[in-house]
Amino acid sequence: MAALSEEVLLVVKRVRQRKQDGTLYLMTERIAWGPEGKDRFTVSHLYADIRCQKISPDGKSKIQLQLVLHTGESTTFHFANESTALKDRDAAKDLLQQLLPKFKKKANKQLEEKNKMLQEDPVLFQLYKDLVVSQVISAEEFWASRLKLSSVEHSLSNNSKQEVGISAAFLADIRPQTDGCNGLKYNLTSDIIESIFKTYPAVKQKYAENVPHNLTEKEFWTRFFQSHYFHRDRINTGQQDIFSECAKQDEKGLKSMVVQGVKNPMVDLLSLEDKTLDEGYGSLTVGPNSSKTVKENSNSAIIKRFNHHSAMVLAAGLRKVILVYWKFNKFYPELNLLFMNRDAPSDQASETSSTDGNSRDSDFFQPPIKKVKLQEAIEYEDLQNGSGPKTIALNLKKSDRYSHGPVPLQSHHYSTSQDIINSVSCIQEEISCYKPCLTRVMPSSAASSAITALSPGGLLMQAGTQQAVSQLVPTDVQSELKHLYTAAGELLRHFWSCFPVNTPFLEEKVVKMRSNLERFQSTKLRPFQEKIQREYLSTNLTSHLDEMIQAAYNKFHAWQTRRMARKT
Amino acid sequence: MASEDEVSLLVIVVDVNPIWWGQQAQREPEFNLSKCLDAVMVMANSHLVMTRTNKLAIIASHCQESHFLYPNKHWKAGDVAGDEVSSGSGDGKYELLSVANDLVAEEIRNLMARTQVKGHQTDTLLAGSLAKALCYIHRVSKELEAGQDMKSRILVSSWFPFSSAVYFCIIFVQMSMGIFGLIIYYILQVVKAAEDCALQYMNFMNVIFAAQKQNILIDACVLDSDSGLLQQACDITGGLYLKIPQKTALAQYLLWVFLPDADQRSQLVLPPSVHVDYRAACFCHRNLIEIGYVCSVCLSIFCNFSPICTTCETAFKIPLPQMMKPKKKKLKTAN
Repeated sequence: MAALSEEVLLVVKRVRQRKQDGTLYLMTERIAWGPEGKDRFTVSHLYADIRCQKISPDGKSKIQLQLVLHTGESTTFHFANESTALKDRDAAKDLLQQLLPKFKKKANKQLEEKNKMLQEDPVLFQLYKDLVVSQVISAEEFWASRLKLSSVEHSLSNNSKQEVGISAAFLADIRPQTDGCNGLKYNLTSDIIESIFKTYPAVKQKYAENVPHNLTEKEFWTRFFQSHYFHRDRINTGQQDIFSECAKQDEKGLKSMVVQGVKNPMVDLLSLEDKTLDEGYGSLTVGPNSSKTVKENSNSAIIKRFNHHSAMVLAAGLRKVILVYWKFNKFYPELNLLFMNRDAPSDQASETSSTDGNSRDSDFFQPPIKKVKLQEAIEYEDLQNGSGPKTIALNLKKSDRYSHGPVPLQSHHYSTSQDIINSVSCIQEEISCYKPCLTRVMPSSAASSAITALSPGGLLMQAGTQQAVSQLVPTDVQSELKHLYTAAGELLRHFWSCFPVNTPFLEEKVVKMRSNLERFQSTKLRPFQEKIQREYLSTNLTSHLDEMIQAAYNKFHAWQTRRMARKT
Repeated sequence: MASEDEVSLLVIVVDVNPIWWGQQAQREPEFNLSKCLDAVMVMANSHLVMTRTNKLAIIASHCQESHFLYPNKHWKAGDVAGDEVSSGSGDGKYELLSVANDLVAEEIRNLMARTQVKGHQTDTLLAGSLAKALCYIHRVSKELEAGQDMKSRILVSSWFPFSSAVYFCIIFVQMSMGIFGLIIYYILQVVKAAEDCALQYMNFMNVIFAAQKQNILIDACVLDSDSGLLQQACDITGGLYLKIPQKTALAQYLLWVFLPDADQRSQLVLPPSVHVDYRAACFCHRNLIEIGYVCSVCLSIFCNFSPICTTCETAFKIPLPQMMKPKKKKLKTAN
C-alpha cells in the first residue's frame, strides 16, 4: 500500500477508471486511485502536476471528473455509485478546488520564470532553440546555470519594490452616481477603502470597533457617506453619529499640528497674511482678529478640512518610514546621531511629527532640526578651506620627453651654411621676377597621367578595391553565423568550466560536453559549411569556430591521456 | 545649387621655406616654387569661381614667419575699381581673380625679398601657420551674418626634402553658409615640404585637436615623402591625405582631389584613406613600439621593463611568483 503516513482527506468508493471499478483517495499532496480488491494504487498524481480539473456537464448521464496534467495527459474518473454519484463527484471537485491552487503556484512559478526569461531575451530564446530543441544538450543542463542567477535577481527586485502612495484625490474619485430616484450610489473598491484607512486612522478604529459586531460593512460605509463628517459642512454635528468622535479627533489633531508648526527656521508661515485691495488700489491687510461672517466661517472650515486632508495623506505615506526609524532608534541608539547630522531623514522626521498631530511617534524622534537647517543655509561646502584628500606632487625629471612626437630620431641631412646662403639667394632671384602664368601651369601629358592614376584601378586607388567581408556575405548567412557563434560559445563555456576536473560529477560533465560538441559540429556546423561552399563564399568564415572546437578537443584528449596515465 | 547662405572658406597653407625650395630648384629645375605657386593659384581661382559666396585665404609658411598672402590687411574687396594694381590683367578675367592673383604675387615677392639668412632657423613654422589659419577661420565665422552657415577646410601642401625642414603648406579653408545656422567646416589643406619637426610636435597636435573640435577638415598634399604627423592630422579631422607621384601635375591633383568640399566628397570616388601608424614611440630610444611598459605615475612609455621610472623616479615593486607548496607536502607524506 502507499505510504500510510499520508493523511487521507477523502475517500470515494465505486469510482471507475478505464472501465475498472475502484476507490478514489484524495490525500494531502496527491490524488490516487486503486482498483477494487487490490492493495496498490494504479493511478497517482501529485497536485503539483495537475494543471486543471474538468467535470462533465450537468445534463449528462455519466458523472465524470477529468484531471488534466501539465504534460497534457488526462485521466478520467467515472463516479458510478447510483445514489450518491453527483454528491461524491462534487465533493471531490470542491476538495480539489481548494487543494490545487496551493500546489499550482509552486510548480508553475518555475515554468513561468523560464518562459519569461525566454520571452525577454531573444538571444537566449535563439540559443534555446539551437541547443535544446535540436537535442544537442538537454533542457536541464541549459537551465542549470541560468535559473540560479535569475532567482537571485528576482528576490532582490521584489524586495526593493516601492510602496504605492495614496492619491490625494482618492475621496473625490469615488464619484457617486445617481441611483434613479434621489439615491446616490458610491462605488467603493478595496483600494479606496485601504486609502481611507491609511489616511484617517480614526475611521479605521471605528471600523474595527463596529464591524462586524454592530454593523455590516455595507451599513458602515452607508453611514460613513451619510454622516456630515464626510460632507463639506461639519457645522451640524449635534446628531449622535459614530463619526462625530472622528470629527472631534480630527479637530484636535489639526490644532496640535498648528501648534507644533514647521520646524524649519527658514520657513515662516505666520508672516503670510491676506492682503486685499483697498480704495484707490492700495493694499489693505486684513487683521487677524476681524469678525467673520457665517459665509467666511464656512469657507475657513473648508480650507481647514483641505489642509487637514492633505496633511493626513502626506503623513500616511511617511508614517511607515517613521516607524522604521523608531524601531531602529530603540535598538540602535547610536544611529540617532547619524540621523541628526543628515538632512534627508531629519527632514522627513520633522515633517511627519508636525503634520500628523495624532501620531505618537513624534515623541521619540526630536533631533535638533533648527540647528541643522541654519547651518545648512549659511555654509557652502566648496567655499570652505577644504582639506581635500592629500595629494602628492608629480616630480618629473625629464619632461621634454613628452614633447617629442612618435617620430624616430633620424639623421638629419645637415646643410652647410654656404648651402643655405646659396639656396636663399637662388630663391630670392627666382621669386623677385615671379609673375603668375596660369595658362601654362602643367603639360597635358602630366595632367592626363595624373588623371589615370586617380581613376579607379590607377596607381593611387589600389587600396580601395578591397571590400569588407560584411558586404560580400548576405545577411541571412551572417545571422546564421552569429547564431552558430552564440551556440558554440555556450557549449564551450560549459566545457571549459569543467576544468580543473576535481570531482566525478565534473568528469562526467566533461565527457558529456565533448560528445555535445561533436554533435553540435556534425548537426550544425558541417551543414552550414557545406551551404556556404555551395554558394561560393569564402570558407574562412567558419575557420575560427573550427579552431575553437579543435582546441577543446585537444584539451579533452590531453586530459584523457593524463587520466589514463595516472590510472595505470 | 547652393543657397546664398552657404559660405565655404578654403585656407591654403603653402610652405615656402626658401632654403628648401632653393635646393629643390637646383635639383629639379622643372618644378620650382613658381610652378608650385601657379598650381596653387589655379586651385584658389577655381575655388572662388565655384560659388559666388566662396571665400579664400592663403598663408605662406616660412621659416621665420607665417604670412597671409591673401587677403591683404589693407585691401578690401570693394576697392577693386580704379586701383592701379588691378590694371595689370587685360584679359577680361573675373576681377576678383585677377586682383587676388596679383596680390598673392606681390606678397610672395615682398616676403622673399625681406628674407634674411639665419643659420639656425631652418624649419618651417607649420604649426604656427595652422594656428593662424584656425584663428582666421574663427574670426571670419564671427563676422558672418545671422543665419549664415560656414564650412571650412585647410589644405596643407608639403614636401619632404632630404635636408632641413621645409614646410610647404597650403591651407584651404572653405566656408559655406547655410540657412540653418552657423555650421563651419574648415578644411586645412597642408602642402607639406619638410620632415616632421620634433620641436613643433606638441603645437601641431594641439592644432589638430582644435581643428577637430571646430569641425575643420585638414587635407594634406605631400609632394615627396610621407609624413606621419600629417597623416594623423587628416585621419583625426576627417580630411584627405595624398602623396603625389608626379610633382609637375600638382595642379591636376589639387583640382581633382581637394577642390570638392566635404559634402561632395562622399559622392565621388577618391583615393582611399591610408592606414595611419598610431604607434607610440618609447621614451628611451624613440622606437615605435606596439607593446610596452607604461609608468602609472607619469604615463611615460618604455620598451623595456626597469624597476625605476627614469622620468618621475618612482620605484616599482614586482611581486615574485609564489613557491610551489603542494610539492613540499607530497614529500612530507612520502616521508
